[in-house]
Amino acid sequence: MELYVAALGFGLISVSVIAIAAVGFTMQFGITNMINLAYGEVMIVCAYVAFYVNRAGVNVWAAMIAAALAGAVLSFLLNRFLYAPFQRKGTNLIGMVIISLAASLILANILLPIVGYDTSSYQVDQGPLLRWNGLVLTTAQIAIIVVAVLLMLAIHGLLRYTRLGKAMRATAANPILARNCGIPTQRVIDMVWLLTGALCGVAGVVAGMNSENFAVASGAAYLITIIAAAVLGGAGQPYGAMIGALIIGIVTELSAAAIAPEYKEVVAFTILVLVMVLRPQGLLAKRGALAAAG
Amino acid sequence: MNSYYAATLAVYAAVDIIACIALNLQFGVSGIVNFSFIVFQSIGAYTAAVLSMPPDTANGAYQVYIGGFQLPFPIPWIGGAIAGGLLAIPVGLVVLRKLRSDYQAISLLVLSVIANSVIMNARTFLNGAAGIAQVPGPFSDQVDPLSQTYQLLYVGLTIPCVLLVWLVASRIVNSPFGRSLRAMREHEVAATAIGKNPVQLKMTIFIVGGVIAGLSGAILVGYIAVWAPSEWLYPETIILFAAVIVGGRGNNVGAMLGALLVPVGFFEVTRLIPATIGGWVPPPNLIPAMEWVAIGLLIIGFLWFRPEGVRPEPRRVFGGAPVPEDLVSAGSS
Repeated sequence: MELYVAALGFGLISVSVIAIAAVGFTMQFGITNMINLAYGEVMIVCAYVAFYVNRAGVNVWAAMIAAALAGAVLSFLLNRFLYAPFQRKGTNLIGMVIISLAASLILANILLPIVGYDTSSYQVDQGPLLRWNGLVLTTAQIAIIVVAVLLMLAIHGLLRYTRLGKAMRATAANPILARNCGIPTQRVIDMVWLLTGALCGVAGVVAGMNSENFAVASGAAYLITIIAAAVLGGAGQPYGAMIGALIIGIVTELSAAAIAPEYKEVVAFTILVLVMVLRPQGLLAKRGALAAAG
Repeated sequence: MNSYYAATLAVYAAVDIIACIALNLQFGVSGIVNFSFIVFQSIGAYTAAVLSMPPDTANGAYQVYIGGFQLPFPIPWIGGAIAGGLLAIPVGLVVLRKLRSDYQAISLLVLSVIANSVIMNARTFLNGAAGIAQVPGPFSDQVDPLSQTYQLLYVGLTIPCVLLVWLVASRIVNSPFGRSLRAMREHEVAATAIGKNPVQLKMTIFIVGGVIAGLSGAILVGYIAVWAPSEWLYPETIILFAAVIVGGRGNNVGAMLGALLVPVGFFEVTRLIPATIGGWVPPPNLIPAMEWVAIGLLIIGFLWFRPEGVRPEPRRVFGGAPVPEDLVSAGSS
C-alpha cells in the first residue's frame, strides 16, 4: 500500500508536468489548427537552455524563466517562418503534420551535435522532505506542483476573463468570422504561439527536473505522453488537456508501481487506444477528432 | 567499386524501392499517412528472422527470442509478408475507422514509438535492445554467404520481388480500385456519396501496404543478418516519406526514383564526405545529424517549392463518353 501512496506522490508531479506541456500543445491545435509534432523537441531545446544557464551557476527556477523565453521565441519563429506560410499556401492538415515532424527532426539534429548524446541533469536544491500520510515529496517537487497550479489558474483566467482570451476563443471557434468581427486574428495567433511556447519551455524544464536526467532523445517520449493527455481530454480543449493530464499522470505512475516503470508510456498508449476506440472525440470535446478535416 | 559493394547497394536499393512503393500506395495514392510504416517493415524482418533461425538455445543461447523454426528459403520471406499484413488488420481497425486523417497520422506515430520501446524493454521476446543477430540468409547453408556467388544470388532473389511488387502496385494504381482510392484521397465525402466505402478501401490498401512492407523487411534482414530496435526508430519512416514526396506522390515511378534519390542517394553521398576537411576533423555525430537535418529540409523544401515531386502523378483525364454519330452531325448542322 505504501508503494502506491508513494506512487501517487510521483503521480501528482507527473500530472503537473504533463498538464503544463499538454495545455500548451492543445492550445496550439485548438486555436491555430496546427498539430505541432515539434513540441517535444522545443521542450528539449528549452530544457537545454535552462541547463546551460543552470550550469553557469544560476538557480534552476531562474533558469526556468530563461527557458520560457527561449520557448516563446522559438515557437513564435517556428510558426512565423514555417507553419504560417504553409498554412497560407493552403497546405492540408496532413501536409502540416508532416512539416511539423520534419521540423522536429531538424531541431533535434541541430541540437544533437551541440549538446551530445549524453544525458544531462539539473543541479536542484531538493530542499527538506515533506511527509504527509505516507506521501513523501521534496520541497522542489512541491514547488513544481505549485508552479503547475498557478499556470493552470493563469490560463483559466486568461481564457475566461481577458479580452485576449476571449479573442483566442473566438479565433478557435471560427477564425474567418472572428476576423470579420474586427479581431486581429494574426496578432492573436502570434500571442498564442508566444504563450504556448513559454508553457512549452517551462514544461521542458520541469520534465527535466522530474525525470532525473534528460537527453535529446527524450523528446519523443515527452511528445507521446502529451498527445495521450491532449487526445484523452479532447484535442484543442485546454480544460480537457488538464483532465487528460490528471488521468494519464496518476494512472501511469500507479502502473509503474504495479507493473514496471519501463512500461509507463505503454500504459499511456493503451489509454490513448481505448479513447480512440471508445470515444475518439475525447472526454470534453464536442467535435474534436470526429469533425470533418479543414 | 568492388562487387560486394555493388551487391550491397543493389539490395538496399531494392528494399527501399519496395518500401517506397508500399508507402506510395498508402500515402501517395490513398492519402493514409502511415507514420508507423517502419513497424510493418520491422515485423516482417523479425518474423523472417525467427522463421529462418535455429531455436535460441543454439550457439550457447547468447540471445533470447521466440520461435526459431529453421525453415527453408521462401517461407521466411512469405512469412514476413504475411506478418506485415496481419499486423495491419488490428492497427487499421483501431486507427482507420473513425479518426480524422491528422489524428490517424499522430496515432500511427505514437504506435511507432511505443512499439519500439516495448520490443526494446521486453528482452525475452525478441532479445530486447540488443536485437537479433546471425540471421541466416536464404540458401546460406548451401552457398557460402561470404562468397561473391552468394551476393549475386541474393541480388537475383531480390529483383523478382521488386518486379512482382511493381506489377501489383501498377495494377492497383491503374485499376478501378485505384481510381476509388484516389477519389477517396481527394474527397472522402464525395467518394462515399457515390457508394464507395472509405473504411473498406483504406483497410484493403493498409493491409496490402503492410504485406509489401513486411516483405521488404524480410529481404533486408536476410541480407544484413541483424535486426535491432535501433534499426527501426520512427525517423526511419520519415526518410521513406521524404523519398515519396521527392519522387512524386501517387506515382510509382516517382516512388522508385525517390527511393534511389533519398535513402540510396544519402547512403552514397555520406561515403564521399572525407574524414577530415582541411585538417579539421568533424565530431563523429555531426555528419549523421546533418544528414537528418538535410532530410527534414528536403521535405520542407519540396513541399514548398514542388509539392508534386520530381515525377508528378499523371493527370488522369476522362476523355468523355463516346458521342453517338447522329448527335454529332445534328450539332454541326
